[in-house]
Amino acid sequence: MATTERPEPRGLGDRLYDALFHNYVWRSIFRSGYPNTPRNQMLVVATNVFLHLHPTRIHRTHVKITHTYCLGGLSFFLFLGLTITGVLLMFYYVPSVERAYEDILHLHTDVRFGFLMRNMHRWMAHGMVIMVLMHMMRVFYTGAYKPPREFNWVVGVVLLVLTLLLSFTGYLLPWDQLAFWAITVGTNMVGSAPILGPPNKFVMIGGFEVGAGALIRFYTLHVIALPLLAATFMAVHFWRIRRDGGLARPL
Amino acid sequence: MVATTPETAAASAAVRQKARRQRDEELLVWPDLVFVEFIAAMVFLLAITALSITIDAPLLDRANPAVTPNPSKAPWYFLNLQELLLHMDPALAGVVVPTVALVALGAIPYYDRSNEGQGEWLSTPNAWRLTWIGSAVGSIGSILLVLFDEQIHVRLFTGLTGSAWPSSLNWIRNARSIQNDLPWPEWMRSIPLGNVLRTDLLGLPKLDLALNIPELFVSQIIPVSLMIGLPIILSIVLWKTGEAKTRRDHMIAQFSGFIAVYIVLTIIGTAFRGQGMELLPPWEVKMPIS
Repeated sequence: MATTERPEPRGLGDRLYDALFHNYVWRSIFRSGYPNTPRNQMLVVATNVFLHLHPTRIHRTHVKITHTYCLGGLSFFLFLGLTITGVLLMFYYVPSVERAYEDILHLHTDVRFGFLMRNMHRWMAHGMVIMVLMHMMRVFYTGAYKPPREFNWVVGVVLLVLTLLLSFTGYLLPWDQLAFWAITVGTNMVGSAPILGPPNKFVMIGGFEVGAGALIRFYTLHVIALPLLAATFMAVHFWRIRRDGGLARPL
Repeated sequence: MVATTPETAAASAAVRQKARRQRDEELLVWPDLVFVEFIAAMVFLLAITALSITIDAPLLDRANPAVTPNPSKAPWYFLNLQELLLHMDPALAGVVVPTVALVALGAIPYYDRSNEGQGEWLSTPNAWRLTWIGSAVGSIGSILLVLFDEQIHVRLFTGLTGSAWPSSLNWIRNARSIQNDLPWPEWMRSIPLGNVLRTDLLGLPKLDLALNIPELFVSQIIPVSLMIGLPIILSIVLWKTGEAKTRRDHMIAQFSGFIAVYIVLTIIGTAFRGQGMELLPPWEVKMPIS
């Protein structure tokens, strides 16, 4: 029964493959082998920090595209895309009343692929609002908010609010007529509340009217405060999906 | 060691069998799920890139506080609230309604605690019917209310009969006419309350309130009763007719109605409101070029 395995004589391809992928440095980065066996496929999901958002196994019905339409995943994908294009846009944009509008114009005229960055950021932002709303509808109609997932639905509602706020704060940054008056209309709604409305509006836009104060506030909220908050809630959201037993299934 | 009786042996075999069957229903995340996610991400990346190359993000003239475009509109996802603003008190439309809506949304799982219909699309017996009923009531109801405030019945009446709207019925031309065309006693229009809220105690400016009952009636009481009353009537009708039997059923109808109202008001606010926020057919609504 027990036979000693003797290595086959190895060709150049095998030795090259070994040198590239079985060397000390490579193995220090990727702890599991190439995921072409069930063992390695589970290891790669369990040991990779990005992939370990997933369980290693998943029920057959959850892979069906019509079960989730990938809506939550696509919302997260858009968030990542918005982060990348957003960082690139920050290189060229100064949130001052004097420069903001010109910087946006320069994106279209002077910056290589600047128009692409800005357009992608804009359309992905609209897309994210739509995706998040559709994701909410998916979760509702599949009854996925039911016990034990009640609290994750609440986290989802918070994320919906954060998504709207992210989009709203970004809306002002181009500093054109569309931006200025949309934010004026929007913040006037807040200001119309009795008693607490006007002070709240004042804090929001850093003055009595939309101006330099509003621009720097919205910019700071848009590029750092709200994304960090959203990322935190997303971490809780994803964590809770796993803790609450993965995607909802019929009992 | 526990002695193995035939019963326990059979039971543990059944448990193992069940576990094995469950395993058979499972797939490995790599490659089965990761592949789907990758494809979805790539399709979206390509679609967004194509969209961004073909359509430029809007950019109007430099912001100018002195020139107010007509109409000035909020971002599209807030246009439903801006639409409400035309029909009721601004504080109600801009603050109270969205806050209550979000809290109600977050409260759904704490109201509907059953496990029925979990994990499958609209899986309770009446789910599809209730979705359609809720959406129909929500969309038709909000369209009718917007049209009423737009005096569509007055226009229809004059168009069909050729005579003017009877002046005795002036007070139901729209919501606002209840305030203006009914013979309210003059004292009702301004009842001084002084600083009843004692805002000075909170360090806020003193607030001298005056109660305007006709105004309160039109911009607060009617909208609030409609927004709370109509969903309640919907649920009562569904309950009495036996369409909705469980909390899940009621939630499906209410949620569908809410989504329908949200979408309808967003579309009206985006595509049907032109200069001065007047109700116009979409082809006559132009973006202000200022």
